[in-house]
Formats: sequence, structure tokens, C-alpha cells
Amino acid sequence: MKRRAFLAGGATALLGCGRDKRPRLNVYNWSSYIDPAMVERFEREQGVRVRYGTYEGNEEMLAKVVTGNSGWDVVFPTHSRLAPMARHNLLAPLDARRLPSLGNLDARFRRPVWDADLRWGVPYMWNATGIVYNRQQTAVPTGWDALWSAGLKGRMTMLDDPEDVIGVCLQKLGFPFDSVEERQLQAAKREAVRQKQLLRAYINAEVRDQLVAGDVLAAQLWSTTAAQAMRAAPQLAFAYPREGYPLYCDCAAVLRESKRYELAHEFLDFLLRPEVAAANARVADTATANGAARRLLPADAVLYPPDEIYARGVWPPALPSAAQRYRDRLWTEIKAA
Amino acid sequence: MNTRWWFLLPARVWTALFLLAPLGIVGAYSVLTRGDYGGVEAPWTMESYTRLIDPLYLAILWRSVWMATLSTVLCALLGFPLALFIARAGRRKNLWLQLVLLPFWTSFLVRTYAWLFILRDTGLVNTVLQRLHVIRTPLPLLYNDGAVLLGLVYSFLPFFVLPVYAALERLDGSLAEAAADLGARPLSTLRRVILPLSAPGIAAGCVLVFIPCLGSYLTPDLLGGGKTVMVGNLIQNQFTTARDWPFGSATSLVLMLVSALALLMMMRSPATKEML
Repeated sequence: MKRRAFLAGGATALLGCGRDKRPRLNVYNWSSYIDPAMVERFEREQGVRVRYGTYEGNEEMLAKVVTGNSGWDVVFPTHSRLAPMARHNLLAPLDARRLPSLGNLDARFRRPVWDADLRWGVPYMWNATGIVYNRQQTAVPTGWDALWSAGLKGRMTMLDDPEDVIGVCLQKLGFPFDSVEERQLQAAKREAVRQKQLLRAYINAEVRDQLVAGDVLAAQLWSTTAAQAMRAAPQLAFAYPREGYPLYCDCAAVLRESKRYELAHEFLDFLLRPEVAAANARVADTATANGAARRLLPADAVLYPPDEIYARGVWPPALPSAAQRYRDRLWTEIKAA
Repeated sequence: MNTRWWFLLPARVWTALFLLAPLGIVGAYSVLTRGDYGGVEAPWTMESYTRLIDPLYLAILWRSVWMATLSTVLCALLGFPLALFIARAGRRKNLWLQLVLLPFWTSFLVRTYAWLFILRDTGLVNTVLQRLHVIRTPLPLLYNDGAVLLGLVYSFLPFFVLPVYAALERLDGSLAEAAADLGARPLSTLRRVILPLSAPGIAAGCVLVFIPCLGSYLTPDLLGGGKTVMVGNLIQNQFTTARDWPFGSATSLVLMLVSALALLMMMRSPATKEML
């Protein structure tokens, strides 16, 4: 009985695919970065179908869309990838007239440094890299040097990400996060190698459980993941280092290969609606770039730092190819040290 | 065309499509130039290979060979007695075999994650030892080479046990009895009769453990905490954050070469010759 029902269901689904003449929008987004109910709502409102796919990293997405016939319409690159993607003719310039809800964006994102006219992407969600720490067992960290404390040997972690680790070493030394100067980068590498002896591991989101359990007392971590950990464990807190810190923003962009330019804009404008953006921020558990949506969400000083702290943040740009390669070599040296 | 040709056709097509063609692509990528955002560009160059001749990368390769060798030796030390035990377990044989295979019912990733919960400071081992007052502060069990080795041996032990079991199972029991009748003690029966006769299985097991260990990247990443690099991690990095596909391809090919050499050495050994 069950098997027959399953077969019947499968057959209807197959037939349904063939018969469905509704236009289809192909959306490729980071995993758990949208409220599925909102996708369904868009389908109902527009009378369209959405094929929704997910990825885990910019490189994964880029590898697919770089061919120019990936079949996706809307993607969500991090801010630093917008300019290179546009230079590579991968993105379609946005038409602001088709995006009447752009005014809902938070003032910080209406004229962002990486794309002042919002020509290539609509800011969607953002976060920062800072220090999450255990209030009961460590002093309040003010700067990145807290992650070099000998007293916390073996109880600290850094992100497993060359850009964040090398960038933070540069900032600790007073150099710019996105430096391309060899002398500065070499000094940063030495800092990283020195720090490695004190570190427990280079890990990303997995550190959350170990922070909650108390295995790790201080970690370089994204504000969004930190906020999630803090909700599970009140002894945790988050600090934005005084030397500055990197900020990242994922933006909704339309691919040049897209044959549904107008529908893609409808979708981008739909995402800008306050209640939709708020629902997505709630599900993704991150900071929305939508100011109108933020008023519908609970206040959170970790996800949304006040202006004086926000001013210290930097938006890392894409690195030139040679610098990128040099950094990768340094990263391998750090890891092999 | 004869029947033989037609019967081999699917295998040939399979090999061409899924082995030779991808290998050709990797080979071609390895002699191209890195594209800025992933991918490859003209012109042709051997730069990726010349870059590999660098103490930094050679040390990583050497480290991987060393870790893979250690894992293989540990798998052999643990796996041989286990295989012998199962081969002689009589009616329980199948039960034991199923137990060896049981971990494969769960995803490799999940099993490796599970070790995190066993080994970490507030994990199973440390909690039990602390409750029993054996230790006061948690032992650093996680995020070091020991943890990586443990993970590798745990993951690949069945690959050693199965071929050795198969060899021991086929072994004529009366040979061991004959050795005993002729006055051999159990240990010298093992050394002079059982070990030589099961050598082909042991060699196969070693190959099956050594090669995947050499290229592993998940275990060193998760259990080593990203503090150590094996060549698998180096390759993974080239295709992700470094976006250097030519260098990743070149490294992959060199890794394949090392694996092939290891395989060749095993096959040349007299013990395996009779197996083939």
C-alpha cells in the first residue's frame, strides 16, 4: 500500500514537472539562508516556480557560475566578490527602478563602499569577525592580542580561514587588514606561527559547541555564530577588537546569463520587504541589511553593533591575484609550521 | 567483432569516460595558468610543477607518507590478530564480520564527528576519567597527530581486516595442525606457516589502507583541528580558498604518482606475486 502510494506520488511529481508551464526562477543561495515559507509565498504571489539550490562557499558558487551557462538566475556572493564577478562579465547591472523597496535598506547599506550605487548587488545579510569569550574565566578582551594570551594556551581557537587569520595578524601589528606588502605579510605570518603554539585548533562554526561546553574559552568567530552560541550559554560574550575587524556582507545579485531579468528583480524586491527580510533573518539567525526589517526583530548589540563600534570595521576588498597567491603560500607555511 | 570484444566494451567505455577522461582534464589543468576566480587560463606552463619542488611542499608530502605509513602499520598490528580471530570463530564468524562492517552503515563524516565528542575536554573519555579521579585536568586528546592517527586507523581498519580474513579463511587448517604435529609451537606456526601463507592478503590490506590514508583530508582537518596539513588538505585548499586549480591539479597528479609507486612496490614483492 505504502509502496503504491509512493509510486503514484512519484508519477504525479514527474508528470507535474512536464506539465508545469509557469515561468521558473533559479535561485542559488548559501545553505539555511532563507525562510522556505517565503520562497513559497513568492511562488504564489507571482504564479511562478522557484528552483532553489544551496552552496557552502563563494568558491563553490563561483566554480559553477564562471562558465556563464550554469542555469542560475540569482546568486548571493559576498561583497568582495561582486566587483571581480562584474569584471568577469558574470553579473547583470541592477535596475534601481525595478527595485522600489531599496529604501528599506539600513542607512549603512544604501551606499556601501564596495558598490556605492548598488549597481551589482542588493545587500542581504552581513556579519563581522570578532572575539567570543567566556566571561567567567577570561578577562574582557579589548584587542586581538587577547588571542595570544599565554594563560589561555590550548583553550583558544582561530578561524580556519587564511583571509581572517592573516588579516587579524596584520591588524594586531597595526597594518591594514588587506595589506599586499610582503614585509607586513611576513611579519603577520610570524605572529601567526607564534600564536599557533597557543591555539587549540583552527576551526569554524564547529567551535560553537566547544564554547558552550567550556572546552574553548576564547575564539575568533563570526558575530552571527557567536550570537547563536551566546543564546545557548549566557557565560559567553562577544568583543569587537579595538584595532578594527573585518565585516562581510552577502548580496543578492542577478547573473548576466539570466533570461529572467525582470522576474529576478521581482524576487530581489520581494526579499527587501520588511516582513520577508525579517522572516529570513529569523530563520538564518544572522544580521539583516534591511533597516525596516530590523525594527521587527529583537534588538541585539552583538549582531548590530552601535555606530562607534561599527566605525572600526573594514570591508575587505578582493585581493589582486599575486597577493592572493602570496597569502596562500604564507597560509601553507603557517599550517605546516 | 568477437564476443569477447563486445563483453569488454562496457568496461572499456567506463574506463575511458570515468578514469581516462577526468585524468586527462586534471593533466591538462596542471599545465595551464591559474584563473583569477578559479578555473584555468592560457598559456601552457610547467610552473605548477616547478613550484612543487619546494621544501615546504615536499615536507608536506613527506609528512603525509609518514602518517599513512604509521596508520598502515597500526592497522596491520590491530587487524591481523582480529582477522585471525574471526577466521577461527566458527559459527560466530558472520556475526564478527558484520560487526567489523557495521561502521559503514553510518556516514564517514558522522563517524569522524563522533570522535570529537569522545575525545574533547568535556567528552566521554575525559569525563569518565575525571569522575573516576584518574586525572584531575582533562587530557589533550583532540587536535593533535595522535587524534589524526586514531581517526585514520579507525576509519581504515576494516579495509585491512577483510582481505586478511579472506586469505586466512582460505588457508587449509590442516597445515597448522601438521606444523603442530611436527613440533612447532603456536608462535612459530604463526610465524613460519600462517604469516607467509596469508602474505598476499596482508599486502592487499596494506595497499587498501595506505593509499586512502595518503590522500585523506577530512580526518586531519576535523581531528587535527586544522593545525597540521597533509597533502589532501593542500589540494583541497587549492580548489577552495586559494583558487589555484593548476597547482591543485599538479599536486593531485604527484600524489597519484606516489600512490602508484607504492602500489608497484607492493606488487613487486614476492609475496604478492603469487596472489596476482
